[in-house]
Amino acid sequence: MKKRTLMLAAGLSASALALAGCAPGDAGSDAGGDSTTLKVWSWQAASSPDWERIFDVYEDANPGITVEFEGFQATEYNQLLSTGLAGRDGPDVAMIRAYGGAQGPIQAGQLTPIDDVVDGLDLFEPTVLQAAQGREDGVTYGVPFAYQTMHMFYNKDIFDENDLEEPKTWDEFIQLQDDLLAAEITPMALGAREEWVLPMFHDLIGSARYGGSEFGAQVQAGTTDFTNPDYVASLELVQQMQQYFDPNVSAIAVADATLQFTAGQAAQWPGGSFDLKVFQDSAPDTEWGVYQVPPAPGSVLSEAVTPSYADGSFGINAASEKQEPATDLLNWMTTVEFGQLVGDELKQFSPLAGVSYSDPLMQEMNDLYLANPSPYLLLVDFRYGDPTGTAVLGPDIQAMFLGQKTPEQLAADLQAGISTWFTPGS
Amino acid sequence: MAIALPPRRPRLIRTASHAGVHMRFGSTLVFVLPALLLFAVLILYPMLAALSYSFFGWQGTNRDGFVGFGNYITLLTREPYASELWGGFSHNILLFIGAFIFQNSLGLGIATLLHKRKRSKRFFQTIFALPYLVSPMVIGYLWSLMLSPLFGPVNAILRGVGLEGLALPWLGDPTLAIWVVVFVTAWQWLGFPILLYGAAIAGIPEEISEAVSLDGASAFQRFRYVTLPLLTPSIGIITVLTFIGSMEAMAIPFALGGSSGSPAGATDVMMLLFYRTAFESGNPNSVGISSALATVLFIFILAISVGITRVIRRAERKLY
Repeated sequence: MKKRTLMLAAGLSASALALAGCAPGDAGSDAGGDSTTLKVWSWQAASSPDWERIFDVYEDANPGITVEFEGFQATEYNQLLSTGLAGRDGPDVAMIRAYGGAQGPIQAGQLTPIDDVVDGLDLFEPTVLQAAQGREDGVTYGVPFAYQTMHMFYNKDIFDENDLEEPKTWDEFIQLQDDLLAAEITPMALGAREEWVLPMFHDLIGSARYGGSEFGAQVQAGTTDFTNPDYVASLELVQQMQQYFDPNVSAIAVADATLQFTAGQAAQWPGGSFDLKVFQDSAPDTEWGVYQVPPAPGSVLSEAVTPSYADGSFGINAASEKQEPATDLLNWMTTVEFGQLVGDELKQFSPLAGVSYSDPLMQEMNDLYLANPSPYLLLVDFRYGDPTGTAVLGPDIQAMFLGQKTPEQLAADLQAGISTWFTPGS
Repeated sequence: MAIALPPRRPRLIRTASHAGVHMRFGSTLVFVLPALLLFAVLILYPMLAALSYSFFGWQGTNRDGFVGFGNYITLLTREPYASELWGGFSHNILLFIGAFIFQNSLGLGIATLLHKRKRSKRFFQTIFALPYLVSPMVIGYLWSLMLSPLFGPVNAILRGVGLEGLALPWLGDPTLAIWVVVFVTAWQWLGFPILLYGAAIAGIPEEISEAVSLDGASAFQRFRYVTLPLLTPSIGIITVLTFIGSMEAMAIPFALGGSSGSPAGATDVMMLLFYRTAFESGNPNSVGISSALATVLFIFILAISVGITRVIRRAERKLY
């Protein structure tokens, strides 16, 4: 009995360790054949048919090349890609996570540098291209394929029924929220139970207040940090917004908040361009609108800005034996033809200039972005170490909503967290 | 002169001191080898690999230099790991205590009650065991839907019967959320102790109970001096398994609070910290740190499980 229990205990408790050990292996070389089939991996499993249509266009224009697209679940992709790039059966071309998420395969030498072999990289905004560059060496390893923008979505029907309009100033913005409250309509839906939405919400509300990319540059240079009064003031705006959510906002998941918004139980949704398709699919008869939150009094920037970030890029597996056809494919990804296909088939924003969007709302969102872009600072610049900026600020905003922390504490926590790995000027 | 050899005896030998069968090493190996191979490939190698990874620095999935206990020191002393490790650990302990109390009180109680019911016993055992057969991720997701403050039936029912005061933000209030995780975990596991205790109680000879009843023992005395001592081995097994399950809890906390243990880390547990470090971290050395965490977790679980087993054995001896 005793022995059996001990063995059982040992065996079962080993599983955590075994789980860890299943992860990585030493980098190996690829042994691909001479085939002109290019294996392309992606974390966008749900969009696989759309991606296949895009690559059909490339195959038609390049006889003899077959693109074998494989879409995986986003939650499993990082692990699969690590294994794939380190092993023999990996992809020739792979979707690479943006910014900090790209550094693992880059530092492991698993991606091919493309600065000298892919033309058209200069067509991308530096903030977008940064998503595919090594932080240490500044070399480019991927072609960005899409970017996301953040907006305040609203239900046009609710606005029309209550004679409400898009706000142009901060006072109008606050008045709008108060009018909605007075009409017993929840002004904004937010899934604050999931911490990842909260730093996005902060940037949407407060980017102009703290100074957007200008502030980011100052932090990078070391002339200021996150305890700067302007940054603290931007966090105070987030705190001020709490009254415009459901009283139990901390207990609401993103899926519930989405239903709250699409069912007409809340008038606005502070979110990303990735949400649009969900709204249009969930409530096809509802008309949606977007606007940018006007700058609050005392803002460093005088105009409303559109926070944004690159979604990811396509890079070449350094171990692939099909470097040349893979490079040709990446060259095609810098053309407007590819960008237009991304817009048309995937309903995502292409980072390439000259792409137009058939959906008027998408076109409006893109125009807002082009007029006044601003980086989603904590994702673009502060996801290169542990803890990431978003990993600190997300749970901390939850704590602020729960009355456990003040904006000053949030700023201090963020600075302390980032400081464990970030050195200004590095 | 030819010597007549005695006929060869079978190699199987039974000894007086052991009931087991003794075989030659080679024969033993043939029987053991398949399982041993599977164990070595699926359990032992990953364990040893993780142990070795924890002593190296990593650049993504490329192994860097030997760092000795550097990753362990980072894990235990550097932020955010140090505070998150202790936060997660304390929640794991809460999970264990909650599940332990739930299973050894309600589980044992239900098993005792069901023992008397000959007809409905099997039906209720099946009903109680059903959640145990469903994936914990599904269980967690279903509970998160039921506890939604906007559309969940739990708060709707509470409001419907006039208990508005109890319609709380179950997963949004940190003081409540961890207890929701404890409850859902214990609720899912309840069927297991009911089955195990049910089998153990059924194994207690009726004659013993009848004998102490004839001696004038009350129902409580019968439970205290007959049933409980004979259930001690089962209590030991359930305690150890509950401890291991609580320390490795991942799916239900993940489904209810996400990978960061929302809200504000209130439902964070060690396996979520492991998940974040291994798969969501921006640290290029995430393989080294997460392997160190897995090793610490393994050693801790093994040591405490052995400790619990010894304590239970000692208690067993006292009770007999």
